Amino acid sequence: MDVELKRLEQEAESALAALSRAEDLEPFRVRYLGRKGLLSTVMRQLGQVSPEERPRLGQLANQIKQGIEQRFEEKKAALDFSDGVVQQAADLSLPGRALPFGRLHPVTQVMEEICAIFEGMGFAVAEGPDVELDHYNFAALNIPEHHPARDMHDTFYVSESILLRTHTSPMQARIMETQQPPLRYIAPGKVYRCDSDITHTPMFHQVEGFLVDRRVSFADLKGVLTSFTQRMFKNDLSLRFRPSFFPFTEPSAEVDIACVICGGSGCRVCKRTGWLEILGAGLIDPEVLKMVGYDPETFSGFAFGLGVERIAMLKYGIDDIRLFYENDLRFLSQF
Amino acid sequence: MKLTFKWLNEYVNLDGLSAEQIADRLTMLGLEVDAVVHMAGGLEGLRTARIRKVLPHPDADRLTVCEVEVGAELIQVVCGAPNAREGLLTAIARPGVILPNGMKIRKAKVRGQESLGMLCSAKELGLSEEHRGILEISGDIDSGVDLVQALGLDDVMIEIDLTPNRPDCASVLGIAREVAGFAGRKLRPPVSREELPALAQSHPEFSVEIREADLCPRYAARKLSGVTIAPSPKWLQQRLQAVGMRPINNIVDITNYVMLELGQPLHAFDFARLTDGRIVVRCPREGERQFTTLDGQLRNLEPDMLMICDGERPVAVAGIMGGLESEVIEGTREILLESACFNPVSIRRTARRLNIASEASYRFERGIDPNGVDIALERAVRLMVELAGAKLVEGGVDLYPGRRSEHVQPLRCSRVRDLLGMELGEERITDLLRSIQLGVTAKGEGVLEVTIPSFRVDIEREVDLVEEIARLAGYNSIPTSLPQIGMDYPKRDPLRTLRQEISRILVARGFTEAINYSFSASRKIDQLQIPIEDRRRKVTRLLNPLAEEQEIMRSLLLPGLLDNIRHNHNHQWPDVALFETGKIFAQLQRGVLPEERLQLCAVLSGKRHSKAAPLYFSNFEADIFDLKGVVESIFHDLSLTGMHGKLDFVGVSDKVQPYCQEGFTILIRDGGTDVGLLGKINQQVLRAFGIKQDVYFLEMDLNEVNALPRVNKVFQSLPRFPAVKRDIALIVPEPVAAGELIDSIILLDEKIIEDAELFDVYRGKPVEKGRKSVAIAVTYRSPDKTLDDETVDIVHEKIVNTLMSRFGGRYRD
Repeated sequence: MDVELKRLEQEAESALAALSRAEDLEPFRVRYLGRKGLLSTVMRQLGQVSPEERPRLGQLANQIKQGIEQRFEEKKAALDFSDGVVQQAADLSLPGRALPFGRLHPVTQVMEEICAIFEGMGFAVAEGPDVELDHYNFAALNIPEHHPARDMHDTFYVSESILLRTHTSPMQARIMETQQPPLRYIAPGKVYRCDSDITHTPMFHQVEGFLVDRRVSFADLKGVLTSFTQRMFKNDLSLRFRPSFFPFTEPSAEVDIACVICGGSGCRVCKRTGWLEILGAGLIDPEVLKMVGYDPETFSGFAFGLGVERIAMLKYGIDDIRLFYENDLRFLSQF
Repeated sequence: MKLTFKWLNEYVNLDGLSAEQIADRLTMLGLEVDAVVHMAGGLEGLRTARIRKVLPHPDADRLTVCEVEVGAELIQVVCGAPNAREGLLTAIARPGVILPNGMKIRKAKVRGQESLGMLCSAKELGLSEEHRGILEISGDIDSGVDLVQALGLDDVMIEIDLTPNRPDCASVLGIAREVAGFAGRKLRPPVSREELPALAQSHPEFSVEIREADLCPRYAARKLSGVTIAPSPKWLQQRLQAVGMRPINNIVDITNYVMLELGQPLHAFDFARLTDGRIVVRCPREGERQFTTLDGQLRNLEPDMLMICDGERPVAVAGIMGGLESEVIEGTREILLESACFNPVSIRRTARRLNIASEASYRFERGIDPNGVDIALERAVRLMVELAGAKLVEGGVDLYPGRRSEHVQPLRCSRVRDLLGMELGEERITDLLRSIQLGVTAKGEGVLEVTIPSFRVDIEREVDLVEEIARLAGYNSIPTSLPQIGMDYPKRDPLRTLRQEISRILVARGFTEAINYSFSASRKIDQLQIPIEDRRRKVTRLLNPLAEEQEIMRSLLLPGLLDNIRHNHNHQWPDVALFETGKIFAQLQRGVLPEERLQLCAVLSGKRHSKAAPLYFSNFEADIFDLKGVVESIFHDLSLTGMHGKLDFVGVSDKVQPYCQEGFTILIRDGGTDVGLLGKINQQVLRAFGIKQDVYFLEMDLNEVNALPRVNKVFQSLPRFPAVKRDIALIVPEPVAAGELIDSIILLDEKIIEDAELFDVYRGKPVEKGRKSVAIAVTYRSPDKTLDDETVDIVHEKIVNTLMSRFGGRYRD
């Protein structure tokens, strides 16, 4: 019986090893491990062996049966697994299960990014009224009535003394009137000019910023704006400062960055100059400081303003500013 | 301001400088160059040609066969122009030449006749729109000459975008002064002060009187006789054309030329038409209410407008435009030439009211050089003598009541250093200022005295000189540094923070942010059926809107978003979830700033899951509960609560707002005050906005929300014992609100009830009509033991009994 058990064990082992298809598992189980299978048949003969031999042979038969059962289970698990892959393979090219997710408007995204950079440098954020007094929009910024600089601002009027702000610079005067230096503020918001074409909308967004303290210089202005533009665009971005004119700054500057489209070699966007104008800036004019009661000999400061749409257009390559206000989801969902 | 390279070269030697280099330097000096145009661009290879013989084409009525001389060659060309005639000098493009319009010329046979080129019209050459015939070139020019040379197009036009503070650069000489400054070259003005004749207070043949000295600081005039009005010489016409000015006649062209050259506007009167030979500078009298300017327009005068008058009546609007009745005409023989200086504010006010923007008013508004008046007059007189055959009448008048002493401005070199953050020596500062003709004298101890020439009307203060120094030294040579300010955490505006938080939640919930114009139209408020007395009718109105659609400032955000829905539906994007946070305006009182409040509006239309939905999700239409969920999550995420501890959603049966559909409106309430509203837009309003699909909306006043208290988050220890869940399914009459069932379970106030949640509402078989099945899951838990069935059973039964007795419900298995 020893011999028979050993032979059966070997036979089962080799049959199991040769087995490669899941559908062959069950016939194997029936043939060797089933109630009427070969092992059971042999084990039923235990009754006929001598009582001395019975315990040893019984133990051996059990060991062999358990061994085969264990290896059968292993084989079964292995075949199940590989079969599973073959039979139930998911189509992994199906799209992900996307729950709805919206977008912030690109103007908001860019504006938040601008504000975050300046907030990181310690600037506070202040938002003023959209409908503004002529005084804060013009007179307090050294633009008296009948000043030719008013031509630079196509203004919407509500009454003789009330208008839609043409820049967010009125916040300069509003804040300086009530606070003392040192001051660091940015004023983001909507501004209005009566102008409408492919590069102008009657409403657009601006971020105005200013800093006032003792001994603030043009070099400081250059430093802050260089830090800003490099964070906003890229670290090694080159920029240049050009003299310009704003009634509320002296000296005044326009800031150009190397064209982000062509890298400075000249293209349609930068009108072949290699430069893109993105900011207006300057040292706050002493007249503006005097009007809020600051002594220009003690305090100096700088101010700057930038158009949010312009930066968004450069950043994303948008060629028509009007797209920002159609709220077409084909547009908004791109950002 | 436009000028040409050659023109500029007359006043400063440009050898070794290209137009591009000059443009670049000017731009970096604050004179931003907008365009550099090579005027001969595209005309390479074209030549002059003289027609020697014109023969009819044997096989075509409208064509001619011309024998054309091009230098020493004679060639045959077929031509279709009606003005082709013997002796005409025109332009020829020979085979191989490419015209500006891209046309390539080939040797051809036209109806059997050989043609070795093409005679060109002005349009084909890109010179003008003229295309009725071939170009006619006048003057003493040979054939075979390069066309660019022949037409004087061998030049570069430079266009400068002038800032309003630099009227001195509204002239070629002014630009030349800047170029001479940076190039270190000598300026060559056309007339120098030393050459000027002496003018007097009066003249035997005419008189000048200034009655408004404040408005007219200087007035000079001279008389010319024997003038022959004729076209200007070619060079003068070409120069004016190159800078975009139309040649008229020699006299007018000279006044324009001198204005462009020196920046001083001039006016030539027909002397014969000036009554009594008098000029009176005064404001209109009573009865002088109207005046016809030389453009033929009848203008309404106001008493404070400065006029130039003769012995009787106004003959020009001072500094802005001449009059029709005294302008130079063909028969004019005698001229009175005016060169004057006017008050900039007065000119600007008048020009604005008359709605005239002339080259003259542009310069006077910004301020011309009062000391340059006599120089420009002399220059123009000389040109008229030279080019218009005029005879100078000796003498002239020059009244200068507004003469001012030279402005001398002290400058501290330390101030330059402090403001620019750059160390510049006294010597360097002196050199820089002198390079643009400012006088500099050292006064010791780092102080300079700077004499400001009269043409620099913009330099009045020390800081203006600092700007000049920065500009001349170059902004890019100023170092960069960072301000040294004490550390301080900037204050945050809570309303701005709230807007950011809410926007983020809405985006996470699938809403995309829209930004609409702050403008709106009264018509939109009508379309929303908002009643007359409503606060949202108290609108801020613009005096000068661009369009009727933009006549008022919006008083609510909804109309903009409804327009956005229609736009998206029209562009095959049916599932729309948009929101906007923006200001709304209420003009509660006239003459003051309107009240500005921050509003949130969200709209929802179409499917809940818009993209790839059928694959994974049921394709449900979004409804009011999507919006309610959004509001719930805003309150939950921001820990917002009511003033009295709870924010309620109150379903109301009436419309609340005229644009709501009845029965689909939920008020968001904090005790007695409304924080917001959500609902469904009614059909009439949808029709008015052209929307064909249901729309749900949410409106919240963010100023109100900002005032709501926030609950501090306090940690709750995690439960130590398991919960027991039991479901209840009840059949209740239709009018019973599911929320009431939940509320009454909570109100039982049984300690072991942890939560009660609605998980199904079902109508239809086998539930009879008029009733619905409501399924609720109740969670039981005790903080100090594992609950046994008996304890739960007692409470659960109590719940079931309460619900059945209170709502007439029936238990459903």
